Amino acid sequence: MAQRNTYKEDEELEEKINLHDIIRIAAYLKPYSGQVARIVSVVVMMSCINVAGPYLTKIMIDTAIPRKDITLLAQLSGLLAVLIVLYEIGVRYRTVAITRVGQSMLKDMRRDLFTHIQTLPFSYFDSRPHGKILVRVVNYVNTLSDTLSSGLINVISDIFTFVVTLVVMFAIDWQLALWSLILFPLLVVWVRILQIWQRRAYQVLSNKQSNLNAYIHESIAGIKTTQTFAREKKQFDTFQEQQGIVRSQWMKAVHIQSLMWPGVQTISSITIAFIYYVGIMQFGGVKVTTGVLIAFLGYANNFWNPIIDIGNFYNQLITCSAYLERIFETMDIKPSITDRPNAAPLPPIRGRVDFNDVVFRYEPEGRNILNLVDFHIEPGKTIALVGPTGAGKTTIINLLSRFYDVSEGSVTVDGYDVREVTLASLRRQMGVMLQDTFVFSGNVRENIRYGRLEATDQEVENAARAVHADEFIRQMPEGYDTIVEERGSTMSAGQRQLISFARVLLADPRILILDEATSNIDTRTEEALQAGLNNLLKGRTSFIIAHRLSTIENADEIFYIDHGQIVEHGSHEKLLRQKGAYYRLYESQYAMLKVEDPDR
Amino acid sequence: MYVDPTRNQNAGNLRWILPYCKPDLPRVIGSVILLFVNDAMAIALPILGGVIVDEVITKRHLELLTKLCVAMVLLTLVRVGSRYGYQMWMERFGQNSIFRLVSDEYEKLHELDFTYFNHTRNGDIMSRMTSDTDAIRHFLSWVSYQLADCIVMFVAALAAMFVLSWPLALALACVTPILFFLTRQLSTHAAPLFYAVRNSLADLNSMVEENIEGNRVVKAFVREDYETQKFDERNDDYMQRNMDAAYNNRRFMPWLDGLGFSLQLITLGFGGLLVIKGNMTLGALVSFNSMLWMLDGPVRQSGWLINDWQRFDASCVKIRRLLTATARIQEKPDAKQTVAQAVDIRKRVGIAQPSTTPERISGEIRFDHVSFAFPDDPHTPILKDLNFLVPAGTKLGILGETGSGKSTLVNLIARFYDPTVGNVFIDGIDAREWPLATLRSQVSIVAQDTFLFSDTIGGNISFGATRRDDPEYIRKVSSVAGADAFIRSMPQGYDTVVGERGVGLSGGQKQRLSLARALADDPPILIMDDTTSAVDMETEAGIQKQLSNLDASKTIVTIAHRISSIKDANLILVLEHGRIVERGTHEDLVSAHGRYWSIYRKQLGLEAGKSQGFEK
Repeated sequence: MAQRNTYKEDEELEEKINLHDIIRIAAYLKPYSGQVARIVSVVVMMSCINVAGPYLTKIMIDTAIPRKDITLLAQLSGLLAVLIVLYEIGVRYRTVAITRVGQSMLKDMRRDLFTHIQTLPFSYFDSRPHGKILVRVVNYVNTLSDTLSSGLINVISDIFTFVVTLVVMFAIDWQLALWSLILFPLLVVWVRILQIWQRRAYQVLSNKQSNLNAYIHESIAGIKTTQTFAREKKQFDTFQEQQGIVRSQWMKAVHIQSLMWPGVQTISSITIAFIYYVGIMQFGGVKVTTGVLIAFLGYANNFWNPIIDIGNFYNQLITCSAYLERIFETMDIKPSITDRPNAAPLPPIRGRVDFNDVVFRYEPEGRNILNLVDFHIEPGKTIALVGPTGAGKTTIINLLSRFYDVSEGSVTVDGYDVREVTLASLRRQMGVMLQDTFVFSGNVRENIRYGRLEATDQEVENAARAVHADEFIRQMPEGYDTIVEERGSTMSAGQRQLISFARVLLADPRILILDEATSNIDTRTEEALQAGLNNLLKGRTSFIIAHRLSTIENADEIFYIDHGQIVEHGSHEKLLRQKGAYYRLYESQYAMLKVEDPDR
Repeated sequence: MYVDPTRNQNAGNLRWILPYCKPDLPRVIGSVILLFVNDAMAIALPILGGVIVDEVITKRHLELLTKLCVAMVLLTLVRVGSRYGYQMWMERFGQNSIFRLVSDEYEKLHELDFTYFNHTRNGDIMSRMTSDTDAIRHFLSWVSYQLADCIVMFVAALAAMFVLSWPLALALACVTPILFFLTRQLSTHAAPLFYAVRNSLADLNSMVEENIEGNRVVKAFVREDYETQKFDERNDDYMQRNMDAAYNNRRFMPWLDGLGFSLQLITLGFGGLLVIKGNMTLGALVSFNSMLWMLDGPVRQSGWLINDWQRFDASCVKIRRLLTATARIQEKPDAKQTVAQAVDIRKRVGIAQPSTTPERISGEIRFDHVSFAFPDDPHTPILKDLNFLVPAGTKLGILGETGSGKSTLVNLIARFYDPTVGNVFIDGIDAREWPLATLRSQVSIVAQDTFLFSDTIGGNISFGATRRDDPEYIRKVSSVAGADAFIRSMPQGYDTVVGERGVGLSGGQKQRLSLARALADDPPILIMDDTTSAVDMETEAGIQKQLSNLDASKTIVTIAHRISSIKDANLILVLEHGRIVERGTHEDLVSAHGRYWSIYRKQLGLEAGKSQGFEK
């Protein structure tokens, strides 16, 4: 059995290189590269206008005012007005375009994640709290939203501004430019150190958040149990403990993250002081005029702003990479059961089923769950599987519908090995009704139609009638259009079983599998059901797992399973005559009922 | 609860959130002081630059340069230090406030009743507790100081400008009314859009959650494509809602941004004109220009901050709705006292067993003319005029068709619902009088839906138990529930971790675990709602034998479809459409040749005509 993850345990992250994640994220950007290029050019145009603003002011101060030239002033104002209009058109375009690119990417990523999760086996869902899966598909992807859209585009324009500023600075005075870059290595070191700490802190934080989310999720799902046991206090304490852990980890992470700006700002300020000093004292052979010095200081300011923005973006990226790892980690899980490369669809079958010396274990070294199970079933037969809980009955059925693959031997349907055909074509011809009935939110009709999406209303109702669900459905406030809530919480367990029964019948499968499908249904309904079932079982190969003997007596063949093996098989009568395990089972059941029967 | 949810019920969102923030307000005051320090430094730094130009470059006071440069760096250090300080304080403030808020949400949820959960999607609750609270955190620990920063900067800069030149400052101040108008417009338009974004996200969440929970069904029916299609619709819708918000931004943001930009235009045009006309000095204009960013930054940022505020509002509304949801099942005030008095009087009068205490009930159940309809469907009676008495320590069996109201009946005992008509008495005291925690810890329902937590098997069984740490005890109750054997056969025994909802275990195993969990609680009243339906008959027989040996003082209510599960009960009720149609012991009912009798015969196989092979 795979090790399960509880809300308390951190998930391990194996991937270390985040460059890899960045490359993968770039793949999501690719379809929108045209749009991104367009946005970037608009944004660059906008930053040019931003730079031009102060320049116009400079002309005004240097030229227009000393000359008292009102015409020039009017021209300058007019030019600025035009630039503003242009700029705001840019803003208008950017606002929507960035959101579109960002959201499209997220949508794609969310879809990929969801589609991928659909291919994962039961064991994936069984081995971790569902809350942890949920946050990956929705919350983690959402956290990427700003970074990937506006963050990325701003950073591109920032890099542009940075380069332009640098070029201008070197053009004005290369020596002073070099002096002003003297602290640049310090900045790089600072950013680098913070990045390492921050990455670690955010990884821990995302782990803790994931734990908290899983705990909340489980608390909500288990709230009725908690209330039944009046354990609200204990749950609340655990919750606060988890929340406290997240809080302190959050504080740790922001303490590191927020150090970025002070560092950059301090370095920037030292550099400006340096420029003043070097420029004024003509230090180290630098000879500049006052005008150049002032202009230089203006540019030095511009020079640091993009650095801060780039630093912030880098910050965000690190924060995100913790989430990205989670997302990609999920995408990288390979489903254990997949179609073989050359798998052909299974043609319409008649329903012959063969288990050829099947051995099954969950892990290569684990113990055998099934041990040399061998049987051959003609189309149309009804097979009942009985035996103690945990004997392997459900496993047989999971192998047949290929939810797991056999470890040794083979399972064939109409002579086709189930591993050689496509999963979809195989499962589509099988109807499985599981122990856990699941009802989706939506109306009753849709729930039944889940079995065959193109079924007409009439067919849906016929199926419901056949399983005797019609009666109670019609008694519901809106009949078939009654909305059932999540997990069908407003229906009784028996009613949910009937609904999922109808769903299976509607699917009209060749092979029908009922895994304790009638355990919560009362005797009268079950009896009536059986009458209808007998017709429906005709022409289908059926496997029935049940504990109530009345349900299985009519089977063509009964397998008594124990310790992963078929211990006895044969018809009801034959097995009773054998006086073996089945006989004892029957007798005990009979005896339990029969004691002191006043009728006899 | 940190804050009484009914407080400030009709107040604005800010007033409402305030009590959650209160204990951390000293931090906010500290932050405000640091914010002023930061802003003062921010204004001082350009002035220092001006001093260097005027004193050092123009007047050649070179000896001042080093000092001024050092001062500049020091001012910056003070600035970044104070900023870092208030950022951290505000983060801490936001985190603490959220901690209290989410704790209250969590506690509130556990007070709500079945009716609420039957009609609320888990995904919705999930977003209340995660993304909605995050929007509030963002507001408290980021938007708040950004807003304060903007306002302080704007006002300070404007004041300084009035000193320099009032006509130009007045001209710049003209944007303020327009700014108010635009932000006002933006926020009214944005509010419903953010609300829609939130709703759409909740839809998406719920859909994915359902898909994950129902993954077995999805696979069994090969409905992956259909599910993906459903997902795509919601995924598209979510994007569309976000785009709607972006289109709204497109309507307003350029104007707000342009407003900020136009400040430059006013300074250039009108300021230039004033200088040329001689109403203003050139130096004043240069100073004006260097302070312009303090005005135009806030104006340009205002739109985005307003958006964040709207997000905060949308989230507040949702959380407040959760916090003020009323549970129909509520404990009476002073329930403890009332019950203590009632128990005392019953003892004095001599109708209660001396062993009964207000903390530990003895287990008598009486239904007195109980009728019940779900509050949301008041016209369909589920239970009709039930009358019966189960003395303490006896067994009640309930048999009935699917949907005949059996589970509802037992939910009335633990007061998960209140009867619409009539009364349910526990130990002679109306169930509505008991403190909820007392009642529920005394009544254990082993429900049809077995929910297990993602914990070890041992942890799950001891979930409700007071003697949690006694492995011997846990093993004992497990063996009563017929679970010990299979638990021990697992690789890690009682330390095996079971997945959420106990996935990975068979139905019968889960049922036995949840029975063991209920037994570990040692309740005076044990209710088994079809608990052994997926357990094989032999095991079930063992469980029943063990149960009857276990404790003669327990009142046991059993709902079952198999006659074998209930035939030993002291009283058997046969329910049909919410009415008791037959009652009595097994013998009574069999000899009555009624419904019970016919079910019994069917289960015996007497009418199946197939048991000829079985000779006895």
